[in-house]
Amino acid sequence: MARFIISRLLQSVLVLWIVYTCTFWLLMATPGDPFVGQKQPPPAVIAALKARYGLNDPWHAYWRYPVEVLLHGDLGPTISYSNWSVADVIKNTLPVSMALGALALLIAMWMGVLAGVLGAVFKGRWPDTLLTTGSLLAISIPNFIVGSVLLIFLAVDMTVLPSGGWGTFEQLILPACTLAIAYLAVIARLARESTLDALHADYVRTARAKGNAGWRIISGHVLPNASLPLLAFLGPAAAGVLTGSFVVEKLFAVPGMGDVFVNACLDKDIPLVLGITMVYTVILIAMNILADIACAVADPRVAING
Amino acid sequence: MGVFALCFWLSAGSVPSRHAIVFCQSGQIHTLDPGKMTYLQDIRVAQGLWEGLLQYAPRTLTPIAGVAQRWTISANQRTYTFYLRSDARWSNGQKVTSHDFVFEWRRVLQPHTGSGYVFLYFHIAGAKAYFDSLAKSPQHHLPFSSVGIRAPNARTLTVTLNHPCSYFLDLMAFAPFFPLDARAMRPFKEVSHHVVSYNPIWTRPPNLVTNGPFKLVDWRFHQFLELRPNPFYDQRSQVRCALLKIVNYEDPTAAFLAYRSGVINVLGFIPSSLGPALARQERRGLRHDVHITPVFGTAFLDLNCQKGVLKNRLVRQALDMAIRRRQLVQHVVRMPEVPVRVLVPPDTITGYQSPRGLPQNVKLARQLLKKAGYPDGRGIPPLRYLVVSSSPLSARVAEAVGAMWKRELGVRIHIRSEEGKIFHQDCVHGRFDVAGEGWYGDYPDPSTWLDLFLSGNPNNVTHYSSQRYDALIHRASREVDPAARMALLHRAEAHLVDAAIPAIPLFQMSDGMIYNAKKIGGIRPNFRMMTLLKYIHRR
Repeated sequence: MARFIISRLLQSVLVLWIVYTCTFWLLMATPGDPFVGQKQPPPAVIAALKARYGLNDPWHAYWRYPVEVLLHGDLGPTISYSNWSVADVIKNTLPVSMALGALALLIAMWMGVLAGVLGAVFKGRWPDTLLTTGSLLAISIPNFIVGSVLLIFLAVDMTVLPSGGWGTFEQLILPACTLAIAYLAVIARLARESTLDALHADYVRTARAKGNAGWRIISGHVLPNASLPLLAFLGPAAAGVLTGSFVVEKLFAVPGMGDVFVNACLDKDIPLVLGITMVYTVILIAMNILADIACAVADPRVAING
Repeated sequence: MGVFALCFWLSAGSVPSRHAIVFCQSGQIHTLDPGKMTYLQDIRVAQGLWEGLLQYAPRTLTPIAGVAQRWTISANQRTYTFYLRSDARWSNGQKVTSHDFVFEWRRVLQPHTGSGYVFLYFHIAGAKAYFDSLAKSPQHHLPFSSVGIRAPNARTLTVTLNHPCSYFLDLMAFAPFFPLDARAMRPFKEVSHHVVSYNPIWTRPPNLVTNGPFKLVDWRFHQFLELRPNPFYDQRSQVRCALLKIVNYEDPTAAFLAYRSGVINVLGFIPSSLGPALARQERRGLRHDVHITPVFGTAFLDLNCQKGVLKNRLVRQALDMAIRRRQLVQHVVRMPEVPVRVLVPPDTITGYQSPRGLPQNVKLARQLLKKAGYPDGRGIPPLRYLVVSSSPLSARVAEAVGAMWKRELGVRIHIRSEEGKIFHQDCVHGRFDVAGEGWYGDYPDPSTWLDLFLSGNPNNVTHYSSQRYDALIHRASREVDPAARMALLHRAEAHLVDAAIPAIPLFQMSDGMIYNAKKIGGIRPNFRMMTLLKYIHRR
């Protein structure tokens, strides 16, 4: 296991370097000047700002950046928000995105597993039909449509929940539910398939023959074995809810990192885009490694070749 | 569950009390450094946090006494002497002195501070030379004593100008001229390669020291700012809002929904997608919370005078005369905008008479085009018409204008929608024929528009250059008699809109706010879009 983890960590360094280099080159290739706006300052001001942000440096100087980050722990200043450093921005927005993503994933996991197991147990009957139809709809409808409908009905017309913002648990419910719905549908479908497989396995037949009650068979024998595909999915899903929440953040005015990232790309805020990309990459790698480890712990038969 | 609880605890802000006023702006706060501000939302907050030598009167917006209780102007109108109040205090209780103004103004004049409005300082004698010398060499630059800013004592500030500036007092109430507490800034000073800068954490509470009606008590990035009354502000009794929370919603429609659900008390803008419907409801008396007013801004089309067929003045005139502005406003913009043929919004500046501009005359436009060598538009390649992608209205205007030009003149356009940074870069580098533009005036003087078309002005994206025009503007800038100055500026604008046409004016823009005036008081929507937070209160 230790060999596996070390090997994955070493691979991660290479992945990070490749992502950093590709992002940097893509940013350089895109048109636009971060210091040019509607009201143009004098050229001397633009020149001074470019010098301050190192934009006059030769291109190879940018490869120093990750090393400097590691040495000093400083991600540098942002261009668009001159009072905040890249680290400040990440420190303020990442917990928001993580809280939103974690709650969305919790909702998706619990509701999805419950729906999937019910669908499998009642296969061919109305709960199953409801599940398959509902999940197909949830996967197909984009989350900005789901969010807008929830917003108009629950926040504006019925005023049972706040329309957005951040600070209270109530403000979190609508965005978390909107973000959770697509993942919930995928988890429900996965849970249904793996539960169906497990229900037909020999050990379940044996458990039935021993006279175990239905719920005990589900919780004691079916769920632990049916959870393996779910664990493999949870890694990318966790990274997905964190990195793909910018539409929901925009719609519900959630001050998360997704929205800042999109704006940073539009403003060509090179230090901020690079900083957030690195954070996203680390999250994605970490979640995948954790999912692999969880799979190995849950099922020792899973071979891990470092 | 643990991850959720930890992250939520780390990121959750305070819940505003029932007495708080939640004010939603149309954009994120970019900076709380007054010297660097250029965005309207930043300047609005600055006017709540700081007070300049002068401040704006709540109704007329004319400059009235601020930190300076009185001032004198020399006979040649070049030297202003401001006498500061003895009771002016910073939010930490320290006295505001003239040295605080000198400190901040000197900092703004450093190129690396990155002030977008530093050119406004160039009215001050020696300021431009000092700035240029610093840009050339941070080590061997002119001494600051060469700049016409003096503080003979803690309560007197003298400013000497290059030439009379009729709106200089107005500038003294503008954010880039606000003071900073020199003593409070000292701990944040950093020196690198002979360049002095300040660690940006000075702008965060509790570090930020201000002298205005409010003080900053909390600032969460991308979330909110919380302002509470400054206990040391001398006109404390005028500040009736106990807690002002400034928020921003990235999606304007979501902001409107939040207003409808009661989360927001004041929406500081009209969402563009809902604008026409809201304006209609306001006109019919169906809504009383929508307050729309014409503002100090003009929408116009920049024409690239540097290359292609638009180098020809006759073609530019023909394009101008073929646009049906009233039709454009009624059927495309569908807001209470006013069609205009001039660049400076008419009747907004005291003493200034707008020129007439070119009339709409399709027949004459066709003749002009023929005279230019392009009968019925033959020989003119499709014009590259740039619009900024964040403004759906610009794209609609482009389509309508393109249809008019095609129908009336046979001139075709190719619309190209670009992200803001790319749009502005292409404009600056002249990679366009026509560009949809809008400009808001910074101070109540025609020069805030007319300077745009001076040769060499970084904002002159049309690259129009005329010695005659430059001479008129420079003569106006040296003219002491206000009436004679306005007459010169009138001639300069007439030169632009009657003959040269580097830009085609379309309409005077409007803007507005949404709030229930029965519940929220102290807001007076005005043509300069100045919302003086000092007076806002719950009724």
